[in-house]
Amino acid sequence: MLEIRNLKKSFNGRAALKDVSFTVERGQIYGLLGHNGAGKSTTLGIILGMVAAGSGEVLIDGVSVQQQRSKALRKVGAIFEAPSFYDYLSGWNNLKILVGYSGKFDEKLAREVVDKVGLTERIDSKVRTYSHGMRQRLALAQALLPEPEILLLDEPTDGLDPEGIKWFRDFILDLREQRGMTVLFNSHLLAEVEQMCDRIAILQGGQRVFEGPIKGLEEDLLRYELEVDNPEKALEIIQRYQGTMENWTIAHIPRQVDPALVIRDFVNANIMVRAFMPKQRSLEDLYMEIKAEHHQTKNL
Amino acid sequence: MNFLIQLTGEMRKLYARPRTWIGYIAFLSMEILILFVYKLDRAQATLRGTMEQNGLEFDTYYSSLSITFTIMILSMFVLGSIFFALVAGDIVAKETEDGNLRLIFARPISRIRLLLVKYAAVCVYTISFVFFVGISGYLMAAFAVGWEGGLFVMEPKMKVFAAYPQWSEGAPRLALGALGISFSMLTISSIAFMFSCFRMKPAAATIITLSILFVDMILQNFPFFRPYESWFITWRMSSWVFLMETHIPWPKIVESFAFLTGLNATVFIIGWLSFQSRDFKT
Repeated sequence: MLEIRNLKKSFNGRAALKDVSFTVERGQIYGLLGHNGAGKSTTLGIILGMVAAGSGEVLIDGVSVQQQRSKALRKVGAIFEAPSFYDYLSGWNNLKILVGYSGKFDEKLAREVVDKVGLTERIDSKVRTYSHGMRQRLALAQALLPEPEILLLDEPTDGLDPEGIKWFRDFILDLREQRGMTVLFNSHLLAEVEQMCDRIAILQGGQRVFEGPIKGLEEDLLRYELEVDNPEKALEIIQRYQGTMENWTIAHIPRQVDPALVIRDFVNANIMVRAFMPKQRSLEDLYMEIKAEHHQTKNL
Repeated sequence: MNFLIQLTGEMRKLYARPRTWIGYIAFLSMEILILFVYKLDRAQATLRGTMEQNGLEFDTYYSSLSITFTIMILSMFVLGSIFFALVAGDIVAKETEDGNLRLIFARPISRIRLLLVKYAAVCVYTISFVFFVGISGYLMAAFAVGWEGGLFVMEPKMKVFAAYPQWSEGAPRLALGALGISFSMLTISSIAFMFSCFRMKPAAATIITLSILFVDMILQNFPFFRPYESWFITWRMSSWVFLMETHIPWPKIVESFAFLTGLNATVFIIGWLSFQSRDFKT
């Protein structure tokens, strides 16, 4: 459905993308993960034809964006981080104007979409009175008009409150479920990508450092922050479960082991447990793991 | 059909912004001021002197048509150009600056099409603005001095002098003149539009456009450049006034308007080429 082939791009001599390729299949939610400056937005810009590729090509349903941009983008909707609407117009008029660039504005369909994103009551208010969450809902509404098959999301949940993030996530998952929507999702938040995506590519410094199913990234060992009065004794117990410890403060326990069993054994062994908290893996941790894995593969 | 829908959207955006209306308010205020001056005895005495010196009857030519002509010729180039440059300088650059273009570029519209829609909106604004000034000026003048009377035209710099004693002769000629002004003013809008397509702030696009026009106007008035005055943009822009002559010198007008058309097309293409080659990062 969406094919990115050997994209290269430089800005003022600085390479922003170095031969990036990946393919998003129909109905897939694909995560593009990386820090700010990793090249995610540049990739999205090239997909939309806003940024000219140095070399390489983007194909949407077999149509090249570089050759036939208008035809290729007919099935695409996009949302950006902090979308800029015409603040001095109502949400409805913003939709009318933006959808007008794609063709005819179908009022009935627009009403349905507005209702779906929960903006019916405020759609006639000026956008300048909208909260960030409401702007993001309006962005979603405009991206869904008129009925795209691919959604491109550029850090859409940035700045949303936890409730807003959950609503957004559920909405996207619903779209895939009900309409078989294909989604490309840019983010720098590993946890978010893990919860939504089937497959991901990780960019670092404009280079693709990982590409594969999200399952391939799952950790065999989960990490827990640990604070006990007798770490040596705690290590013995953890080792019984094939786990390890790092700096006497972080326990690595196999995914299949119920951590409650470990805590029970600590208590039975008279170990005072002051803290035992799951520790989320950061993007840095993931980079380090990927690098280490590459290093090992090279040495073999 | 789609072009019309997109143009309607563009016009909706244009007229929803307060700055678009500043020009209308400024011109209405200025028209009121000019009318007030025209009602003063001293001003009327000066006018009477000028007309009678030229063998014209004051009562026939002290009219709403003559006042409207004065309003347009005095104000349009200096004051009008500010608002045309402001609106046209804003139309692309402001959307680039605010990030609105990202949402537009997520749509299957080509850059040239987008620019054509925006340029058409600027043209509609420019032409309608000139006619607004003409019509509102005439209505106010009619309210102040009555709707009847002839049209007195005097433009010493372009050496144009004409008098139409009947309202029925003067009114169509004034309307034709307004059409000519509209066309001339499109040049200001086109230059500002070109700068708006460049990588620059909207205010910079406006200021550079005005600077170019004012420098052109100043140089045109240098005695040294007098033999070459027809090469100056502002001279070409002033040639609409030939439309007011009793016998319209069409070749002169066509030549000037062809020059301006060529210039408008050139600056549009330069703007498009610059816009086309730009990256719009998300």
